[in-house]
Amino acid sequence: MAEDRIVERKRVFAQYKQDVKERGKPFYPYAMFHDTVMSLVVVIVIVGLAAIWKFTTPGHHTGFGPHGSTDVPNQAGWLGKLYDQPADPGTISFVPRPDWYFYFLFQLLRIFKWPDSVILGTVGIPTICLVLLIALPFIDLRSERRPSRRPVAMVAAVLAVLSMGILTYRGATAKEALASEEVTHVPSWAATEKFTKNKEAVAGARLFAQLGCLNCHTYLGQGNHNLGAPDLSAEGAKNKGIAFQIAHLKCPQCVNPGSQMIPFADQPTKNLTALATFLEASKGGK
Amino acid sequence: MEPSREHPHVPGPSLWPVGLAVGVVALLVGLIVNWWISVAGAAIAIAFGFLWVRDIARERGLTKAGEVAPERRNGRGPSRRPAVAPPRTYGRSAFLELSTLGLGGVIGGLVSLPALGFMLLPAFLKQKNPAHDLGPLTDFPQGEFVVTTFVSNPPEGQVSRRTAFVRNNGLLGTEPSFTIISNHCAHLGCPVQPTTVVPKKSAQYKDVTLIPLPTPPSGYSCPCHGGAYDVEGNRIAGPPVRALDRYSFSIRNGHLYVGAPFSVSHVVGSGATARIYKYTLAFPGEHIDGIESWLYPIQPPH
Amino acid sequence: MATRMSPQDRIMYPVDWLEERSGLIGAVRYFLFRRVPSDTNWFQTLGSATLTAFLVQATTGVILAMYYKPDPQEAYPSIVNITNDVFAGWLVRGMHRWGASVFIILMFLHMGRVFLFGAYKYPRELNWIIGVLLLALGLAEGFTGYLLPWDQTSYWATTVGININGSAPFLGPFIAQFLQGGTYINADTLSRFYAIHMLLIPGAIFALIGLHLYLVIRLGVTSPPWSKHPAGSGPTEPPPPAPPRTGLTRPAPRGGTIRG
Repeated sequence: MAEDRIVERKRVFAQYKQDVKERGKPFYPYAMFHDTVMSLVVVIVIVGLAAIWKFTTPGHHTGFGPHGSTDVPNQAGWLGKLYDQPADPGTISFVPRPDWYFYFLFQLLRIFKWPDSVILGTVGIPTICLVLLIALPFIDLRSERRPSRRPVAMVAAVLAVLSMGILTYRGATAKEALASEEVTHVPSWAATEKFTKNKEAVAGARLFAQLGCLNCHTYLGQGNHNLGAPDLSAEGAKNKGIAFQIAHLKCPQCVNPGSQMIPFADQPTKNLTALATFLEASKGGK
Repeated sequence: MEPSREHPHVPGPSLWPVGLAVGVVALLVGLIVNWWISVAGAAIAIAFGFLWVRDIARERGLTKAGEVAPERRNGRGPSRRPAVAPPRTYGRSAFLELSTLGLGGVIGGLVSLPALGFMLLPAFLKQKNPAHDLGPLTDFPQGEFVVTTFVSNPPEGQVSRRTAFVRNNGLLGTEPSFTIISNHCAHLGCPVQPTTVVPKKSAQYKDVTLIPLPTPPSGYSCPCHGGAYDVEGNRIAGPPVRALDRYSFSIRNGHLYVGAPFSVSHVVGSGATARIYKYTLAFPGEHIDGIESWLYPIQPPH
Repeated sequence: MATRMSPQDRIMYPVDWLEERSGLIGAVRYFLFRRVPSDTNWFQTLGSATLTAFLVQATTGVILAMYYKPDPQEAYPSIVNITNDVFAGWLVRGMHRWGASVFIILMFLHMGRVFLFGAYKYPRELNWIIGVLLLALGLAEGFTGYLLPWDQTSYWATTVGININGSAPFLGPFIAQFLQGGTYINADTLSRFYAIHMLLIPGAIFALIGLHLYLVIRLGVTSPPWSKHPAGSGPTEPPPPAPPRTGLTRPAPRGGTIRG
């Protein structure tokens, strides 16, 4: 009965007050000693982090010139750079990332990768979480406090911590298939697929990385899987021939009806040949 | 309408607050539109506010007078009001109570309304997009994309730098045609990158930086949450809710001028003959067509 | 004949003077010597640790404000100046930068402790809600402070953050436009965020921390839930007399006493 519960918990709280009065300890100095030690630890950690940040940063720390000119190098120490480049609202090469404590939100936005669900990641789920958090004392009305007797609460807590941890980790390690980043993988691709000597194929690999193919295709573990595009690591093993590859690049729908790939007919023939050579040279590393 | 012990006293229903609200709204709207609407609004608000307060005061006065009756004070007498209506007096304390509240409200309004307006309105008033000179048409070879960065509002300085992907589509009939695509992702506004080789070399025209792309991009990709667009700015993958925004343009004295940005739901076709489904500028992440666009019925002035 | 003050009273007169006029000493004494359950433990220091981290933020923030310039042209150079040229500027900026992370971690840990101890239950529901509001405000401090160095990371992270607000139904576009003071991030955005970051939100946080502490003092702290005799379980019985030693070969039956 609700009324019984109210009467009972009032009694318990009155008992609590009496117990604290009769056999409690004064806050000062007993509990406050612990508090003070902990506060000291906190301040030492903060000062320590500031010092590590400063003293592990190599070189002199005079920042960057205006708008991305990097005359003065600013290398990262153990805790990252002292400052990033100055804000450039017109950049086309910067990869934005939030501070670590917003990685969970950042990853949440990446999970909802369908236009209709964007609002769930931006507003929906954070609002629901906040409302649940505020409403917690009115959802969990039992007076039981021992964790072993609160299985639902404990499971919910573990799940919340786990999901926050996973989201933060995934957010921290998230990568996009960006031309500037993917192009650094070309030498290792050439080594794995054994076409290092084939100049044409290496040039094709660079184009492959820069033309955004990895937005939809995957290649040796890089790239995204979108629009049902196949993995191309072993495309050359099918031995379709360079002429077929060029025709397919120019007009994917003509060769493969129903394909959702965008045509690359705008590219000069030189680029198409290089791309086709690269694809034919990709035998899956065998 | 007998106030009884069981039911706490509440003011009777009144239409005056509605008039007061209308007056305040007119006052605020007038701040944006025209000052004399504000004056009219203020007059309406004051008139209705006065009437409202007078009503409440009257009611309070009645109650106070009623309570004087001894049989009501000790609660044992007949609960019905005496047949003779009590005199309509304004109790002194009721008057002081109400005037304290009223004066406090006036002070609060005098301080907070202008402050609120000062805080809220400028963000919605000064938006303008002056046309900006991007340089002679010869800087934009036909069929090629040029990454163009310009200071959209020179008095504001570097903070108004914008980047657009400009393509000269050649002539459409006798008129020159340009495609000018904004580089702000339609998901949450990150800077999209053209998926092609971007050379280091750039040309400069006044405050405009021009980087011609030797290899045409296959599209644009977003570095944040995985959005991907085709070369006309249509979404092909990832979370973007619409196509990339575009800029309007004009040609003056053989120079290309970039104008106001607008939003695009999708584009059919390509180049000069593309059909662009155009909407007023919306923030990234807002649907502008389909059922979801009902979530954003009113756009602030951009 | 006038009564004379004792020497001790004379020494304590300044304290007495203050107490007579303000009652402050009594309040401090009440705060310090109030009773708490005898079995509180180290987990329960997380709240005061969070407070310490916040005070570090407030102090270093005020000092940084003396050198920082909230203007798009000046912000970045002023940060570089603070880091390199101002005496101990790297330390103050570093403490503010990393103190933010420590503050947020401690808020989450403190909340985890309260959850684990079930300390959000009757009669402490209101204090839990204030705590959640403090968490939200703390994260908002992180978000608004992130723009201030005016570097690439801050500019674009703020763009995304504002557009997240913009995607809220109905009012979203208006909130976004209000936050950045226009359609895009502009000069007003920076000073706006600066005012919100160093006046509006810290003021709210101070007020809520005051309320939070008031409720902690009024309602008391809980015993750890696994305590043998948590406060609220009634008076402790005197310990039962130890059973007589019977040696290893004849252990006493559990809970019983040995006869014979």
